[in-house]
Amino acid sequence: MRNLLRFIIQHHFLILFLVIEFFSLFLLISTNSYQKVQFYNASHKLTGGISNRMENIGDYFSLHYENRELAEENTRLYNRLKSSYSLALADSVLPGDTAARRKYNYLNTRVINNTVNKQYNYITLDKGKNTGIGPDMAVINNDGIVGIVKSVSDNYASVLSLLNRNFTVSAKIKKNGYFGPLSWNGNNTGYATLVDIPHHVEIAEGDTIVTSGFGGVFPEGFLIGTIGSFRLKGGNYYEIRVKLSNDFRKLNHVQVIYHLEKTEIDSLENVAAQ
Amino acid sequence: MIREFGKYLFYFVVLILAQLLIFNNIEFSGYVNPYVYVLFILLLPFTTPRIVLLISAFALGLIIDLFMGTPGVHSSATVLMAFSRSSVMALFSPREGYQSGTYPRLAEFGLEWFVKYTVMLVLIHHFALFYLEVFSFHHFFSTLFRAFLSSVLTSLIIIFSQYFVFRK
Repeated sequence: MRNLLRFIIQHHFLILFLVIEFFSLFLLISTNSYQKVQFYNASHKLTGGISNRMENIGDYFSLHYENRELAEENTRLYNRLKSSYSLALADSVLPGDTAARRKYNYLNTRVINNTVNKQYNYITLDKGKNTGIGPDMAVINNDGIVGIVKSVSDNYASVLSLLNRNFTVSAKIKKNGYFGPLSWNGNNTGYATLVDIPHHVEIAEGDTIVTSGFGGVFPEGFLIGTIGSFRLKGGNYYEIRVKLSNDFRKLNHVQVIYHLEKTEIDSLENVAAQ
Repeated sequence: MIREFGKYLFYFVVLILAQLLIFNNIEFSGYVNPYVYVLFILLLPFTTPRIVLLISAFALGLIIDLFMGTPGVHSSATVLMAFSRSSVMALFSPREGYQSGTYPRLAEFGLEWFVKYTVMLVLIHHFALFYLEVFSFHHFFSTLFRAFLSSVLTSLIIIFSQYFVFRK
Protein backbone atom coordinates (compact mmCIF):
# COMPACT_ATOMS: atom_id res chain seq x y z
CA MET A 1 0.00 0.00 0.00
CA ARG A 2 2.78 2.37 0.99
CA ASN A 3 4.69 1.47 -2.14
CA LEU A 4 1.63 2.18 -4.24
CA LEU A 5 1.22 5.59 -2.60
CA ARG A 6 4.90 6.36 -3.13
CA PHE A 7 4.56 5.34 -6.78
CA ILE A 8 1.56 7.61 -7.23
CA ILE A 9 3.34 10.53 -5.56
CA GLN A 10 6.49 10.00 -7.60
CA HIS A 11 4.67 9.85 -10.90
CA HIS A 12 1.79 12.19 -10.11
CA PHE A 13 2.53 14.34 -13.15
CA LEU A 14 2.47 11.46 -15.61
CA ILE A 15 -0.63 9.98 -13.98
CA LEU A 16 -2.47 13.29 -14.06
CA PHE A 17 -1.49 13.71 -17.71
CA LEU A 18 -2.81 10.26 -18.58
CA VAL A 19 -6.06 10.87 -16.69
CA ILE A 20 -6.77 14.21 -18.41
CA GLU A 21 -5.70 12.92 -21.82
CA PHE A 22 -7.88 9.84 -21.56
CA PHE A 23 -10.77 11.96 -20.42
CA SER A 24 -10.33 14.21 -23.48
CA LEU A 25 -10.04 11.22 -25.79
CA PHE A 26 -13.12 9.73 -24.17
CA LEU A 27 -14.99 12.94 -25.01
CA LEU A 28 -13.77 12.62 -28.57
CA ILE A 29 -14.39 8.93 -29.08
CA SER A 30 -17.88 8.79 -27.64
CA THR A 31 -19.17 9.77 -31.06
CA ASN A 32 -22.39 8.04 -30.25
CA SER A 33 -24.93 10.40 -31.74
CA TYR A 34 -26.88 10.67 -28.50
CA GLN A 35 -23.85 11.92 -26.59
CA LYS A 36 -22.90 14.23 -29.44
CA VAL A 37 -26.32 15.84 -29.29
CA GLN A 38 -26.01 16.12 -25.51
CA PHE A 39 -22.63 17.78 -25.90
CA TYR A 40 -23.99 20.24 -28.45
CA ASN A 41 -26.95 21.07 -26.26
CA ALA A 42 -24.78 21.54 -23.18
CA SER A 43 -22.26 23.65 -25.05
CA HIS A 44 -25.04 25.71 -26.65
CA LYS A 45 -26.43 26.46 -23.22
CA LEU A 46 -22.99 27.66 -22.14
CA THR A 47 -21.79 29.37 -25.27
CA GLY A 48 -25.02 30.14 -27.14
CA GLY A 49 -25.43 33.51 -25.43
CA ILE A 50 -21.84 34.55 -26.06
CA SER A 51 -21.89 33.28 -29.65
CA ASN A 52 -25.08 35.26 -30.13
CA ARG A 53 -23.43 38.43 -28.92
CA MET A 54 -20.32 37.89 -31.03
CA GLU A 55 -22.52 37.30 -34.05
CA ASN A 56 -24.39 40.51 -33.28
CA ILE A 57 -21.12 42.42 -33.45
CA GLY A 58 -20.12 40.54 -36.58
CA ASP A 59 -23.45 41.49 -38.19
CA TYR A 60 -22.42 45.13 -38.41
CA PHE A 61 -19.52 44.27 -40.66
CA SER A 62 -21.72 42.56 -43.22
CA LEU A 63 -24.55 45.13 -43.16
CA HIS A 64 -23.64 46.49 -46.54
CA TYR A 65 -23.64 43.07 -48.12
CA GLU A 66 -26.86 42.04 -46.35
CA ASN A 67 -28.62 45.20 -47.48
CA ARG A 68 -27.80 44.47 -51.07
CA GLU A 69 -28.99 40.90 -50.66
CA LEU A 70 -32.27 42.09 -49.13
CA ALA A 71 -32.81 44.57 -51.91
CA GLU A 72 -32.30 41.85 -54.48
CA GLU A 73 -34.65 39.57 -52.58
CA ASN A 74 -37.25 42.36 -52.53
CA THR A 75 -37.01 42.70 -56.27
CA ARG A 76 -37.51 39.02 -56.71
CA LEU A 77 -40.57 39.03 -54.43
CA TYR A 78 -42.06 42.03 -56.19
CA ASN A 79 -41.73 40.08 -59.39
CA ARG A 80 -43.81 37.31 -57.90
CA LEU A 81 -46.64 39.54 -56.73
CA LYS A 82 -50.01 38.95 -58.28
CA SER A 83 -49.77 42.28 -60.03
CA SER A 84 -46.61 41.09 -61.76
CA TYR A 85 -48.45 38.32 -63.55
CA SER A 86 -50.65 38.46 -66.53
CA LEU A 87 -54.32 38.17 -65.74
CA ALA A 88 -54.74 34.58 -66.91
CA LEU A 89 -51.93 33.26 -64.74
CA ALA A 90 -52.94 35.28 -61.70
CA ASP A 91 -56.40 33.82 -61.88
CA SER A 92 -55.22 30.25 -62.15
CA VAL A 93 -53.21 30.10 -58.92
CA LEU A 94 -53.65 32.43 -55.98
CA PRO A 95 -51.50 32.47 -52.89
CA GLY A 96 -53.51 30.77 -50.15
CA ASP A 97 -55.76 29.04 -52.63
CA THR A 98 -56.92 25.76 -51.07
CA ALA A 99 -57.02 24.06 -54.45
CA ALA A 100 -53.29 24.57 -54.79
CA ARG A 101 -51.78 22.47 -52.01
CA ARG A 102 -48.98 24.09 -50.09
CA LYS A 103 -46.08 21.69 -49.99
CA TYR A 104 -43.24 23.67 -48.42
CA ASN A 105 -43.02 26.27 -45.70
CA TYR A 106 -40.04 28.54 -45.16
CA LEU A 107 -38.70 29.87 -41.88
CA ASN A 108 -36.10 32.61 -41.76
CA THR A 109 -33.33 31.99 -39.19
CA ARG A 110 -29.94 33.42 -38.41
CA VAL A 111 -26.59 31.66 -38.29
CA ILE A 112 -24.96 32.16 -34.89
CA ASN A 113 -22.03 29.81 -35.31
CA ASN A 114 -20.42 28.51 -38.46
CA THR A 115 -17.13 26.90 -39.35
CA VAL A 116 -15.61 26.22 -42.75
CA ASN A 117 -12.09 25.23 -41.81
CA LYS A 118 -12.69 21.72 -40.52
CA GLN A 119 -13.36 18.44 -42.25
CA TYR A 120 -16.71 18.06 -40.51
CA ASN A 121 -18.27 21.50 -40.39
CA TYR A 122 -21.47 22.33 -38.57
CA ILE A 123 -23.64 25.45 -38.52
CA THR A 124 -25.70 26.57 -35.54
CA LEU A 125 -29.02 28.37 -36.07
CA ASP A 126 -30.78 30.59 -33.55
CA LYS A 127 -34.11 28.77 -33.75
CA GLY A 128 -34.93 25.25 -32.64
CA LYS A 129 -37.60 22.81 -31.60
CA ASN A 130 -39.82 25.59 -30.27
CA THR A 131 -40.38 26.95 -33.77
CA GLY A 132 -40.94 23.49 -35.22
CA ILE A 133 -37.50 22.78 -36.65
CA GLY A 134 -36.66 19.09 -36.63
CA PRO A 135 -33.93 16.80 -37.93
CA ASP A 136 -33.61 16.21 -41.70
CA MET A 137 -35.02 19.57 -42.75
CA ALA A 138 -33.28 21.35 -45.60
CA VAL A 139 -31.49 24.67 -45.09
CA ILE A 140 -30.95 27.13 -47.94
CA ASN A 141 -30.28 30.79 -48.51
CA ASN A 142 -30.68 33.10 -51.48
CA ASP A 143 -27.50 31.81 -53.08
CA GLY A 144 -28.16 28.09 -52.88
CA ILE A 145 -28.29 25.14 -50.55
CA VAL A 146 -26.56 25.30 -47.16
CA GLY A 147 -27.07 22.01 -45.30
CA ILE A 148 -29.39 19.65 -43.46
CA VAL A 149 -30.60 20.03 -39.86
CA LYS A 150 -28.93 17.34 -37.79
CA SER A 151 -30.08 17.88 -34.23
CA VAL A 152 -32.19 20.42 -32.40
CA SER A 153 -32.47 21.71 -28.86
CA ASP A 154 -35.28 23.96 -27.64
CA ASN A 155 -33.89 27.17 -29.08
CA TYR A 156 -31.02 26.16 -31.32
CA ALA A 157 -30.48 23.84 -34.25
CA SER A 158 -27.27 22.21 -35.40
CA VAL A 159 -26.95 21.91 -39.18
CA LEU A 160 -24.73 19.52 -41.09
CA SER A 161 -23.05 21.95 -43.48
CA LEU A 162 -22.53 21.09 -47.14
CA LEU A 163 -18.87 21.49 -46.20
CA ASN A 164 -18.93 18.29 -44.15
CA ARG A 165 -17.58 14.99 -45.36
CA ASN A 166 -20.74 13.24 -44.15
CA PHE A 167 -22.97 15.42 -46.32
CA THR A 168 -24.44 14.01 -49.53
CA VAL A 169 -27.24 15.38 -51.67
CA SER A 170 -28.75 14.14 -54.89
CA ALA A 171 -27.94 16.73 -57.56
CA LYS A 172 -28.83 16.99 -61.23
CA ILE A 173 -27.66 18.86 -64.26
CA LYS A 174 -30.38 21.38 -64.90
CA LYS A 175 -30.39 21.29 -68.69
CA ASN A 176 -30.76 17.52 -69.16
CA GLY A 177 -31.82 16.11 -65.79
CA TYR A 178 -29.05 13.53 -65.29
CA PHE A 179 -28.48 13.13 -61.57
CA GLY A 180 -25.91 11.77 -59.13
CA PRO A 181 -24.67 12.18 -55.56
CA LEU A 182 -22.84 15.39 -54.70
CA SER A 183 -20.48 15.67 -51.74
CA TRP A 184 -17.57 17.72 -50.45
CA ASN A 185 -14.05 16.35 -50.62
CA GLY A 186 -12.67 18.34 -47.71
CA ASN A 187 -10.15 20.41 -49.63
CA ASN A 188 -11.56 23.60 -51.01
CA THR A 189 -14.50 25.48 -49.50
CA GLY A 190 -15.52 26.71 -52.97
CA TYR A 191 -15.98 23.35 -54.68
CA ALA A 192 -17.88 20.06 -54.31
CA THR A 193 -17.77 16.87 -56.35
CA LEU A 194 -20.61 15.35 -58.39
CA VAL A 195 -20.14 11.76 -59.58
CA ASP A 196 -22.04 9.02 -61.44
CA ILE A 197 -22.92 11.10 -64.54
CA PRO A 198 -22.62 8.70 -67.52
CA HIS A 199 -20.03 9.60 -70.16
CA HIS A 200 -22.47 10.04 -73.03
CA VAL A 201 -24.16 13.00 -71.35
CA GLU A 202 -23.25 16.30 -72.92
CA ILE A 203 -21.91 18.71 -70.33
CA ALA A 204 -19.93 21.91 -70.48
CA GLU A 205 -18.21 24.19 -68.04
CA GLY A 206 -20.67 26.64 -66.54
CA ASP A 207 -23.70 24.34 -66.68
CA THR A 208 -26.01 24.82 -63.73
CA ILE A 209 -26.28 22.11 -61.06
CA VAL A 210 -29.46 22.03 -58.97
CA THR A 211 -30.99 19.69 -56.38
CA SER A 212 -32.86 16.77 -57.90
CA GLY A 213 -35.49 16.52 -55.20
CA PHE A 214 -34.76 12.83 -54.66
CA GLY A 215 -34.05 11.76 -51.10
CA GLY A 216 -36.87 13.91 -49.88
CA VAL A 217 -34.85 16.50 -47.98
CA PHE A 218 -34.31 19.26 -50.54
CA PRO A 219 -37.11 20.33 -52.85
CA GLU A 220 -36.32 20.06 -56.53
CA GLY A 221 -34.53 22.79 -58.40
CA PHE A 222 -32.54 24.65 -55.75
CA LEU A 223 -29.24 26.02 -56.98
CA ILE A 224 -26.05 24.26 -55.87
CA GLY A 225 -23.51 25.71 -58.27
CA THR A 226 -22.03 25.50 -61.73
CA ILE A 227 -19.69 23.05 -63.39
CA GLY A 228 -16.12 24.18 -62.86
CA SER A 229 -14.32 21.31 -64.55
CA PHE A 230 -14.91 17.63 -65.25
CA ARG A 231 -13.02 14.49 -66.19
CA LEU A 232 -13.82 10.89 -67.02
CA LYS A 233 -13.23 8.52 -64.16
CA GLY A 234 -12.79 4.86 -64.98
CA GLY A 235 -13.92 5.52 -68.56
CA ASN A 236 -17.66 5.39 -67.95
CA TYR A 237 -18.58 8.12 -65.53
CA TYR A 238 -17.76 11.78 -65.19
CA GLU A 239 -16.35 13.21 -62.01
CA ILE A 240 -17.52 16.81 -62.01
CA ARG A 241 -16.00 19.58 -59.93
CA VAL A 242 -18.90 21.85 -59.02
CA LYS A 243 -18.19 25.48 -58.19
CA LEU A 244 -20.52 26.21 -55.28
CA SER A 245 -22.76 29.24 -55.69
CA ASN A 246 -22.78 29.83 -51.94
CA ASP A 247 -19.92 31.47 -50.08
CA PHE A 248 -20.01 29.55 -46.81
CA ARG A 249 -17.78 32.09 -45.09
CA LYS A 250 -20.50 34.72 -45.38
CA LEU A 251 -23.60 32.83 -44.23
CA ASN A 252 -25.91 34.98 -42.16
CA HIS A 253 -29.62 34.68 -42.86
CA VAL A 254 -30.75 31.23 -43.96
CA GLN A 255 -34.13 29.60 -44.56
CA VAL A 256 -35.21 26.30 -43.07
CA ILE A 257 -37.62 24.40 -45.31
CA TYR A 258 -40.46 22.41 -43.77
CA HIS A 259 -41.52 19.65 -46.10
CA LEU A 260 -45.17 19.34 -45.16
CA GLU A 261 -45.72 16.01 -46.88
CA LYS A 262 -42.49 14.26 -45.92
CA THR A 263 -44.10 11.89 -43.41
CA GLU A 264 -46.68 10.89 -46.00
CA ILE A 265 -43.97 10.11 -48.58
CA ASP A 266 -41.84 8.25 -46.05
CA SER A 267 -44.66 6.06 -44.83
CA LEU A 268 -45.71 5.27 -48.40
CA GLU A 269 -42.16 4.29 -49.29
CA ASN A 270 -41.88 2.16 -46.16
CA VAL A 271 -45.05 0.30 -47.03
CA ALA A 272 -43.81 -0.26 -50.58
CA ALA A 273 -40.46 -1.55 -49.35
CA GLN A 274 -42.02 -4.22 -47.16
CA MET B 1 2.05 36.57 -7.31
CA ILE B 2 -1.50 37.84 -7.64
CA ARG B 3 -0.36 40.29 -10.31
CA GLU B 4 1.32 37.46 -12.22
CA PHE B 5 -1.85 35.41 -11.98
CA GLY B 6 -3.92 38.34 -13.23
CA LYS B 7 -1.58 38.88 -16.14
CA TYR B 8 -1.77 35.27 -17.29
CA LEU B 9 -5.54 35.19 -16.83
CA PHE B 10 -5.64 38.23 -19.12
CA TYR B 11 -3.47 36.43 -21.72
CA PHE B 12 -5.78 33.40 -21.41
CA VAL B 13 -8.93 35.40 -22.14
CA VAL B 14 -7.37 37.55 -24.87
CA LEU B 15 -5.89 34.56 -26.70
CA ILE B 16 -9.21 32.68 -26.64
CA LEU B 17 -11.04 35.74 -27.95
CA ALA B 18 -8.38 36.32 -30.61
CA GLN B 19 -8.65 32.68 -31.69
CA LEU B 20 -12.45 32.71 -31.90
CA LEU B 21 -12.91 36.15 -33.41
CA ILE B 22 -9.90 36.54 -35.67
CA PHE B 23 -7.87 33.40 -36.33
CA ASN B 24 -10.84 31.08 -36.86
CA ASN B 25 -11.81 33.31 -39.76
CA ILE B 26 -8.43 32.96 -41.45
CA GLU B 27 -8.16 30.07 -43.83
CA PHE B 28 -6.76 29.53 -47.27
CA SER B 29 -9.06 27.21 -49.22
CA GLY B 30 -9.65 25.06 -46.14
CA TYR B 31 -6.05 23.91 -45.93
CA VAL B 32 -4.42 26.27 -43.52
CA ASN B 33 -5.94 27.19 -40.16
CA PRO B 34 -3.74 28.86 -37.55
CA TYR B 35 -4.45 27.88 -33.92
CA VAL B 36 -2.64 30.69 -32.18
CA TYR B 37 -4.25 30.15 -28.76
CA VAL B 38 -1.46 27.64 -27.93
CA LEU B 39 0.77 30.69 -27.39
CA PHE B 40 -0.64 30.70 -23.85
CA ILE B 41 1.12 27.41 -23.04
CA LEU B 42 4.34 28.73 -24.57
CA LEU B 43 4.25 31.89 -22.44
CA LEU B 44 3.71 30.33 -19.00
CA PRO B 45 6.77 30.89 -16.78
CA PHE B 46 9.39 28.19 -16.21
CA THR B 47 8.39 27.95 -12.56
CA THR B 48 4.74 27.07 -13.30
CA PRO B 49 3.84 23.93 -11.30
CA ARG B 50 3.39 21.14 -13.80
CA ILE B 51 -0.05 20.30 -12.48
CA VAL B 52 -1.17 23.89 -13.06
CA LEU B 53 0.30 23.65 -16.56
CA LEU B 54 -1.75 20.54 -17.40
CA ILE B 55 -4.97 21.82 -15.87
CA SER B 56 -4.75 25.22 -17.56
CA ALA B 57 -4.00 23.48 -20.88
CA PHE B 58 -7.07 21.32 -20.41
CA ALA B 59 -9.23 24.34 -19.54
CA LEU B 60 -7.91 26.21 -22.59
CA GLY B 61 -8.58 23.29 -24.93
CA LEU B 62 -11.99 22.61 -23.47
CA ILE B 63 -13.14 26.22 -23.89
CA ILE B 64 -12.01 26.22 -27.51
CA ASP B 65 -13.80 22.87 -27.95
CA LEU B 66 -17.00 24.24 -26.48
CA PHE B 67 -17.05 27.13 -28.91
CA MET B 68 -16.07 25.10 -31.94
CA GLY B 69 -18.31 22.11 -31.17
CA THR B 70 -15.50 19.54 -31.31
CA PRO B 71 -15.65 17.53 -28.05
CA GLY B 72 -12.17 16.53 -26.89
CA VAL B 73 -10.19 17.38 -30.03
CA HIS B 74 -8.55 20.61 -28.89
CA SER B 75 -8.35 19.63 -25.23
CA SER B 76 -6.44 16.41 -25.89
CA ALA B 77 -4.03 18.10 -28.32
CA THR B 78 -3.39 20.99 -25.93
CA VAL B 79 -2.85 18.69 -22.92
CA LEU B 80 -0.39 16.61 -24.96
CA MET B 81 1.47 19.78 -25.88
CA ALA B 82 1.61 20.97 -22.26
CA PHE B 83 2.88 17.55 -21.22
CA SER B 84 5.71 17.67 -23.76
CA ARG B 85 6.70 21.24 -22.85
CA SER B 86 9.23 20.32 -20.15
CA SER B 87 10.91 17.72 -22.40
CA VAL B 88 11.13 20.20 -25.27
CA MET B 89 12.62 22.79 -22.92
CA ALA B 90 15.19 20.26 -21.70
CA LEU B 91 16.00 19.35 -25.29
CA PHE B 92 16.77 22.94 -26.30
CA SER B 93 18.16 24.16 -22.98
CA PRO B 94 20.96 26.73 -23.31
CA ARG B 95 24.44 25.73 -22.10
CA GLU B 96 24.09 27.44 -18.75
CA GLY B 97 20.54 26.14 -18.23
CA TYR B 98 17.48 28.27 -17.52
CA GLN B 99 18.31 30.94 -14.93
CA SER B 100 15.76 31.65 -12.23
CA GLY B 101 13.82 34.85 -12.80
CA THR B 102 13.78 34.43 -16.59
CA TYR B 103 10.72 33.81 -18.74
CA PRO B 104 10.38 31.83 -21.97
CA ARG B 105 10.41 34.90 -24.19
CA LEU B 106 12.11 35.76 -27.43
CA ALA B 107 13.60 38.87 -25.85
CA GLU B 108 15.40 36.80 -23.20
CA PHE B 109 16.62 33.73 -25.05
CA GLY B 110 17.04 34.98 -28.59
CA LEU B 111 15.38 34.18 -31.90
CA GLU B 112 16.98 30.80 -32.50
CA TRP B 113 15.94 29.31 -29.18
CA PHE B 114 12.43 30.75 -29.42
CA VAL B 115 11.89 29.47 -32.98
CA LYS B 116 13.02 25.95 -32.03
CA TYR B 117 10.86 25.95 -28.91
CA THR B 118 7.77 27.30 -30.70
CA VAL B 119 8.00 25.19 -33.84
CA MET B 120 8.54 21.95 -31.92
CA LEU B 121 5.57 22.44 -29.60
CA VAL B 122 3.29 23.80 -32.35
CA LEU B 123 4.12 20.77 -34.51
CA ILE B 124 3.22 18.41 -31.65
CA HIS B 125 -0.05 20.24 -31.06
CA HIS B 126 -1.09 20.56 -34.71
CA PHE B 127 -0.27 16.99 -35.72
CA ALA B 128 -2.23 15.65 -32.75
CA LEU B 129 -5.07 18.06 -33.50
CA PHE B 130 -5.44 17.42 -37.22
CA TYR B 131 -5.26 13.64 -36.92
CA LEU B 132 -7.71 13.62 -34.00
CA GLU B 133 -10.07 15.84 -35.97
CA VAL B 134 -10.12 13.55 -39.00
CA PHE B 135 -9.87 10.53 -36.69
CA SER B 136 -8.63 8.14 -39.34
CA PHE B 137 -5.49 7.53 -41.35
CA HIS B 138 -7.61 7.36 -44.45
CA HIS B 139 -6.48 10.70 -45.87
CA PHE B 140 -3.04 10.37 -44.31
CA PHE B 141 -1.04 12.58 -46.65
CA SER B 142 -3.59 15.33 -47.14
CA THR B 143 -3.90 15.60 -43.34
CA LEU B 144 -0.11 15.63 -42.99
CA PHE B 145 0.08 18.45 -45.52
CA ARG B 146 -2.65 20.47 -43.80
CA ALA B 147 -1.06 20.00 -40.36
CA PHE B 148 2.33 21.01 -41.68
CA LEU B 149 1.14 24.17 -43.48
CA SER B 150 -0.96 25.24 -40.50
CA SER B 151 1.98 24.69 -38.14
CA VAL B 152 4.11 26.95 -40.31
CA LEU B 153 1.49 29.69 -40.28
CA THR B 154 0.81 29.41 -36.53
CA SER B 155 4.54 29.51 -35.75
CA LEU B 156 5.02 32.56 -37.96
CA ILE B 157 2.15 34.42 -36.28
CA ILE B 158 3.46 33.52 -32.82
CA ILE B 159 7.01 34.63 -33.62
CA PHE B 160 5.85 37.90 -35.15
CA SER B 161 3.60 38.51 -32.16
CA GLN B 162 6.71 38.39 -29.98
CA TYR B 163 8.11 41.36 -31.88
CA PHE B 164 4.96 43.44 -31.84
CA VAL B 165 2.88 42.52 -28.81
CA PHE B 166 5.10 40.96 -26.16
CA ARG B 167 8.02 43.33 -26.68
CA LYS B 168 9.72 44.28 -23.44
